[in-house]
Amino acid sequence: MNVVVLTKWVPEPEGTPTLGDDGLLVREGADGALDPGDEYGLEAALQLVEAAGDGEITLLTMGPEVAHAALQRGLAMGAHKGVRITDDSLRGADSLVTARVLAAAIGRQEFDLVVGGVESTDGYTGTVSAAIAELLGLPSLTFARKLEVADGSLKAERQTAAGYDVVTAPIPALVTVTAGATEPRYPSLKGVMAAKSKPVEMLSVSDLGLSSEDTTATQKVAEVSDAPPKQGGETIDADDTTPARIADLLAEAKVI
Amino acid sequence: MAVVLFVGRVRPRVALVANARPAGRGAPTPDRITREITHVFLQKKLLQKLGPGLMHAFIFWGFIVLLPTIAEAAVAIVDKDSSLPILGDASWFAFVSDVFATLVVVGVAMAFFIRKVLKPDRFRGSHMEEADRILLLILAIVVTFLLWNASRIGFGIAEVPDARPVAHLLSNLFSSGEGTEFAERVLVWAHLLVILGFLVFLPGSKHLHIATAPANVWLAKDGPTGRLEPNRIDLELPEEDIRFGVATQKDLSRKQMLDLFSCTECGRCQEVCPAWATGKPLSPKLLIMDLRDRVVAEAAGEVELQPLVPNAVTDQVVWDCVTCGACVRECPVDIEHVDTIVDLRRNLVMAESRFPQEAAPMLRGVESQENPWGQPASARLDWAKDLDVRVLKEGDPAPEVLFWVGCAGAFDERAQKTTQSVARLLAAAGIDSAVLGPREKCTGDPARRMGHEYLFQMLAEQNVETLNGAGVTKIVASCAHCFNTLANEYPDYGGTYEVVHHTQLLSELIAAGRLQPRTGDGKITYHDACYLGRHNGEFDAPREVIGGEIEEMPRNRERSFCCGAGGARMWMEEESPRINDTRFEEAAATGAETVATACPYCLVMLDDAAKGKSSDIRVADVATLLAESTAIDPR
Amino acid sequence: MKVWVWADVTPDGPAPSALELLTKARDLGDEVAAVALGPGAKASTDALGEHGAQTVYASDDEVFTKHLAQPAVHALAGLVEEHQPDLILFPASYDARDVAGRLQARTGSTLMANATDVLSPDKARTEILGGTKIVDVELKGPAPKLVLIRPQSFAAEPSGGTAEVVEVKADAPDDLKKAERLERHEEEASGPRLEDAKVVVAGGRGLGGPDAFEQLEKLAAAIGNAAVGASRAAVDAGWVPYSFQIGQTGKTVKPEVYICAGISGALQHMVGMKGAKRIVAITKDPDAPILKIADLGVVGDLFKVVPALTEEIEKRRAGS
Repeated sequence: MNVVVLTKWVPEPEGTPTLGDDGLLVREGADGALDPGDEYGLEAALQLVEAAGDGEITLLTMGPEVAHAALQRGLAMGAHKGVRITDDSLRGADSLVTARVLAAAIGRQEFDLVVGGVESTDGYTGTVSAAIAELLGLPSLTFARKLEVADGSLKAERQTAAGYDVVTAPIPALVTVTAGATEPRYPSLKGVMAAKSKPVEMLSVSDLGLSSEDTTATQKVAEVSDAPPKQGGETIDADDTTPARIADLLAEAKVI
Repeated sequence: MAVVLFVGRVRPRVALVANARPAGRGAPTPDRITREITHVFLQKKLLQKLGPGLMHAFIFWGFIVLLPTIAEAAVAIVDKDSSLPILGDASWFAFVSDVFATLVVVGVAMAFFIRKVLKPDRFRGSHMEEADRILLLILAIVVTFLLWNASRIGFGIAEVPDARPVAHLLSNLFSSGEGTEFAERVLVWAHLLVILGFLVFLPGSKHLHIATAPANVWLAKDGPTGRLEPNRIDLELPEEDIRFGVATQKDLSRKQMLDLFSCTECGRCQEVCPAWATGKPLSPKLLIMDLRDRVVAEAAGEVELQPLVPNAVTDQVVWDCVTCGACVRECPVDIEHVDTIVDLRRNLVMAESRFPQEAAPMLRGVESQENPWGQPASARLDWAKDLDVRVLKEGDPAPEVLFWVGCAGAFDERAQKTTQSVARLLAAAGIDSAVLGPREKCTGDPARRMGHEYLFQMLAEQNVETLNGAGVTKIVASCAHCFNTLANEYPDYGGTYEVVHHTQLLSELIAAGRLQPRTGDGKITYHDACYLGRHNGEFDAPREVIGGEIEEMPRNRERSFCCGAGGARMWMEEESPRINDTRFEEAAATGAETVATACPYCLVMLDDAAKGKSSDIRVADVATLLAESTAIDPR
Repeated sequence: MKVWVWADVTPDGPAPSALELLTKARDLGDEVAAVALGPGAKASTDALGEHGAQTVYASDDEVFTKHLAQPAVHALAGLVEEHQPDLILFPASYDARDVAGRLQARTGSTLMANATDVLSPDKARTEILGGTKIVDVELKGPAPKLVLIRPQSFAAEPSGGTAEVVEVKADAPDDLKKAERLERHEEEASGPRLEDAKVVVAGGRGLGGPDAFEQLEKLAAAIGNAAVGASRAAVDAGWVPYSFQIGQTGKTVKPEVYICAGISGALQHMVGMKGAKRIVAITKDPDAPILKIADLGVVGDLFKVVPALTEEIEKRRAGS
């Protein structure tokens, strides 16, 4: 069972990242880590490979040197090897460019499954995986919260608003895994040490056979402004208007 | 032949200890020598329980005094009229040996009374039959001794017949005729044979402690028990050369091995263990016994060499420990259960990553944000926003005292009150102090007690660099765990400072008149924090800060009952009945309206317990109580 | 300017999001159409037309719900090639995200997700960094531009009108039918797991007992896409199972809105929900630490506030 796990290094997953002058998130020099959402995908992959008895997990990431830390974390958890794509032309890459780059890298190797998190903690676009699946011609099962592989096909419980659906697809396929799926393992120190000697391949855009057109972003930040300060921190005494106040907040948050 | 057998049987035990990793202790220090004298010869720890202590002391002192009488008997076997040079004719020795032999009988009687009539619960799980056999053998030795002397008196060949009161009394059982002559021979042979038989029996039984215990006491740690010895991890080394705590018996140190063979299954540790007291499977006694049994079985080839967890003890038992040290305090032979438990945890965490999953966020937080709650470092000064507190920036001159706030004191809203009180009190006393603010990182205590020695090592090295770089010489810590780690463990990482606990500093300031003593009415009880009290010997300072009368709990000072947060258990789930609830009930039973604490963990645990019982009892740090009474209100 | 709306439909009619997006689409273009694929499409065309769709490209074929994403993308891509829309608006449903992502790969279009507003056919707006910054983004690249809109960004307003229905052929080749939906499960009490829910309703010691959690379940059901959780105190008291626990030693949640009742806000708990975008706290204790971090803190009796809130939400759902 060979699995490619999509990983991303994100700045400050627990805190608040900062924006640079170009309107993009500052990555270099920031404190960051492997995106917690990707850990769920990696954990699911580790469990599938362990259940299958053999197979390899390859971590795939696109990013500058800091992204190496994300790979190290994943390798410490038990992945077998890593691939990092880095290229100056990829700075400011949007979701489509990212998808093309990752798809090209995935296409270079044998795999049964591609696993990713549902959305990244810094961008939360949530569409890169679907685009990758399309580029590779793979069926995709997204928002999976429980996975199993049997007889060359994948079965999953797919989260829905009302509950879940049971979905299936033959291998090879792409899967995105939700936060509720599993508890990611904490790497042992032995795992951290072993990670250092696991192979990590570095690739550039030209290694992937992509043209500069492929890597041209189609979005540009036009303007960044401060949102009106949140009415935050208001405490009121309960009265008849309270239900409406709370409901207004829910409406404002677009959840009702 | 008995000696040959004895040597043959004891050799494997000796080999296990000798082949183990050296403990790196053993150099004669004044503390070590003092301890050897007080713990072994003066039976200090045994006498922590008066009755059983005297029982054992009688037998032990009797054994020491009667040692030459073995030679006496041996000599008399060869030639019944001969006696030992010097001692053989000495009336004082005859008297003393007679009296002590009798005391041994009294001791054995007391022992049987305790075991058969009182039947304390601490013996649950101990091998009672083996103990009975040993006691009976001891009894046989001294009874044969007394009767033998009695028969000699009866027969008229005693050297100093009037010097032995009890034997003299017993001599009335013996006529002066041939029967007695024969009896005398029988008794001296019986006496020696019982002794030799005992010698053969010794190595396989817990009575081996007579040889191992004095060595075990000698190798016990000098200094505060709160200090764990480092297990340095150098990631540059190949994996095989790094020790990740204790996995199999091959990783045990000589001291740890000796611990296993010194245990007499007395159960005093079990009796005071908070986990055991609240129904958890952990008993320090059973842990040592189970490790011992496994080690012996593996060494004898009965079972394969396997990791000690879960083959000797279960994972649960290893994680139940709160590292309060009550077991270590009670142990008459200075077994250091906590050190072994932490060493087992080190392997589980660093090599296997096998630990209660709910503690993973704490480890992640300590790893990534340098605090167990994963809060941003910038929030470390939130407590100070309405206060005028000096924040030590890089390059600033060092303060007279660095106030180490700690993670709980910075992030936990209940502990923040303590921090604010301490800051206000320091200011009121005119102390030149500063805080590190965002440059402060977790001391690493939770990670270390959890077994993640490497994470602790990294934090220790980083904090020491910060502190040394800032020229800090004196530190006051408002958390008992930070205090213990900074004072006792950081020196191993290049950080040696004068470290005081906030209660110590406050008590000094009150005594020096720089702060007003606390006034106030209402009944107060004080909960001794394990890491300040038992582990570091500070019981008085907090009480001085409280001032006035304290409604002491039954289990106070060295016998304090843990709040349940130690050993990183603050971040693990506990099943009911909970340790903190149990302790809170004890506090409430004193009739106190306020429970004073000296550590933020105790504060949170006991306050949680109070809220859980919807109690009106207030739980507050002594600093907060002092600040309130001196009108320096943290609220 | 051709603006299309990807309409989620079910046998019960169009999803509210479809009507909201159509309302917005009317502002952005003069030729507005909807694409509705799956059972219920044809039945939805009236409503879609009333909200501005001049054309509805529809198919009731089961293939669009039986197989995930790919048949729909195939059909949509065909329509796009034929009719060349300038902009397509998608709702934020799981299925729509998959379709949009796949379409993007096919057409090389730009795709902007989590938009809160569309300012013009080539500029959209979103919020980042916990809602503290507003970012306007230029949409470049080939047509059609694709925008995924956050739920309830716009209000639905009918404009009157009817739509011309154009049948869409369901002719996806077999190799696009590999991902299959086998079963549908509806869980009444809690749809999403705590970790995935958009809204979390949590109860603590203040609830006084297990029964009160029913109130929270009702509230969660009224809100929809909401899960019920608890503080450690409630779990320790045995009122709810450990799986409900939110906090340091329980689950970590990052919902859009976190509503808690009877929770004081110990650090141990806050660690588990500090990622919530908005916090509403209902407690009778005016000194509770949770009020310091709540966006809206309500000091009052939760046993009155919670049912009243449930009622208000149900009213709003039914009414407007």
